[in-house]
Amino acid sequence: MSSPAAAKHAQPQIIAAPPRVEASLALDFARDATTGRTVLSASIQEPPLRVVRAFALDDGSALAHLHNVSGGLLGGDRLSLAVNVGAGASVQLTTTGATRIYRRRESAPPTTQTNAIRVGENALLEYVPDAIIPYAAARFAQWTRIDLAAGAGLFWWEVIAPGREASGEVFAYESVEMRTDVTANGRLIAAENIRLDPRGSALRSIARLGEYRYWATFYMCRVGLDATAWHAAEEHLREAARELTQPGQALWGVSTLLADGLIVRGLAVRGRDALGGLHALWNAAKLRLYGRAAVPPRKVH
Amino acid sequence: MPADSDPARQFPFPSREELADLRLLHLADTALPIGSLAHSFGLESLVASGILDVNSLFGFLRGYLEEAGAMEAVFCRAAFHLTVDSSRSFAVERWLELNIRLSALRPARESRAGSAALGRNFLTTVLALGERPVLREALDAARRPPAAAIHHSLAFGLASGALGFDENRAVIAYLHQSAANLVSACQRLLPLGQTDAARILWNLKPVMIETAARSAAGDPESVSCFMPLLDWGAMEHPALPTRLFVS
Repeated sequence: MSSPAAAKHAQPQIIAAPPRVEASLALDFARDATTGRTVLSASIQEPPLRVVRAFALDDGSALAHLHNVSGGLLGGDRLSLAVNVGAGASVQLTTTGATRIYRRRESAPPTTQTNAIRVGENALLEYVPDAIIPYAAARFAQWTRIDLAAGAGLFWWEVIAPGREASGEVFAYESVEMRTDVTANGRLIAAENIRLDPRGSALRSIARLGEYRYWATFYMCRVGLDATAWHAAEEHLREAARELTQPGQALWGVSTLLADGLIVRGLAVRGRDALGGLHALWNAAKLRLYGRAAVPPRKVH
Repeated sequence: MPADSDPARQFPFPSREELADLRLLHLADTALPIGSLAHSFGLESLVASGILDVNSLFGFLRGYLEEAGAMEAVFCRAAFHLTVDSSRSFAVERWLELNIRLSALRPARESRAGSAALGRNFLTTVLALGERPVLREALDAARRPPAAAIHHSLAFGLASGALGFDENRAVIAYLHQSAANLVSACQRLLPLGQTDAARILWNLKPVMIETAARSAAGDPESVSCFMPLLDWGAMEHPALPTRLFVS
């Protein structure tokens, strides 16, 4: 008969709940005055958040992939992303895949993500991630603040999927909250506070998503253009949006912001229509606002 | 006819409460000439695209009150509170900040402009009925460059506070006139008869009361609103070939 100590030793190890992660990723990009290229000049990376390197794009921009090496976010994880794009720099950020918000243990607090973004004078940030997929029972809250300086440009989208559709999980998550403020020269030009609560409110109501499952929002800004230019840009992009719109499959709408930009609203039944539409509108807007085509992330090629 | 600033002083009755109730009914009447019947806030596009019909109207309006109604109610209350603390001067900066935030929260240009037109007209109309220094200051502050919008819910809340209305009744009345305006728009857009329209508005009253109650705990910096289909409708509205409404 083994001793109590030995018995204790022989007991199968109790696997503790995974520790909650509190991690930051801070990225500073700067324009190299000699080459004119944008480089990742400084970074603070705490696991599981990671950027391996910044790739040089043909137009002098830097492309960085945001990794979450743990594969997804767990209940209670608290992540923060700080991006500073220096004056004249040009940056494209994307994700390596969908952001998965895993099922939350009953006692776990929500998963949170805080984004603090600064785009300097005449700099450009293009944030073109994959969709956020909230698994069944997930709770996710994200706060984003974007500050644009004079002449700064922004292409920033977010896409929320209904869940793991292939596993039959559609709107099985607990809640998704997203709060976004965008300022230009210190002035608030856009704000968005949404709360998706499939159990408490009927997401399929025509007051909300109706027959659509994917929701996308896309900010396109260039600080300093006047209201007339934005009005014309709205009309131009609306034509592009109407060409993409297929009632029953995907709807795309465009409007001017309070100043300095446009907002696109997208609804789609399928994820590929949501992301495909965003890429098409990104290209149309980039041509309109910058006179050159958008360069899709390499993973799209 | 001269503006009658305080008829309660001229007659022994009605009581102040009764007068406040009557004034609230007056200002929340959809017939108040501020232009509210000219706006559908995106409904016209939803009807034109076949998304909204008579059968789905009640559910839509219930969702509208739960989302947009709740957001506007929170702003209405915030403006109301700007007037109730008589120990302080009117917080002009906060008044402008609230209007800018509500503008930023409205993604569709036409709906944003529509709400701003109604708010300015509302405040101007109330001032024409009787001078109120707070309301005059609010109007003047928004006119100074850079000019700021005055949204209807904020103007309604501010006037309600300045006129001594009960806060909850004012918020409920605001929600009621919002829903009544949309129902009225739908009577022009859909085969919706007067009796059915009245029934829809009648059955929405508990939702208005519940929405108003929930809004008491909300705050303008965090209140949420998720109505992507209506946003799409409002964004699509400028491109409709035939339009009955401004928004």
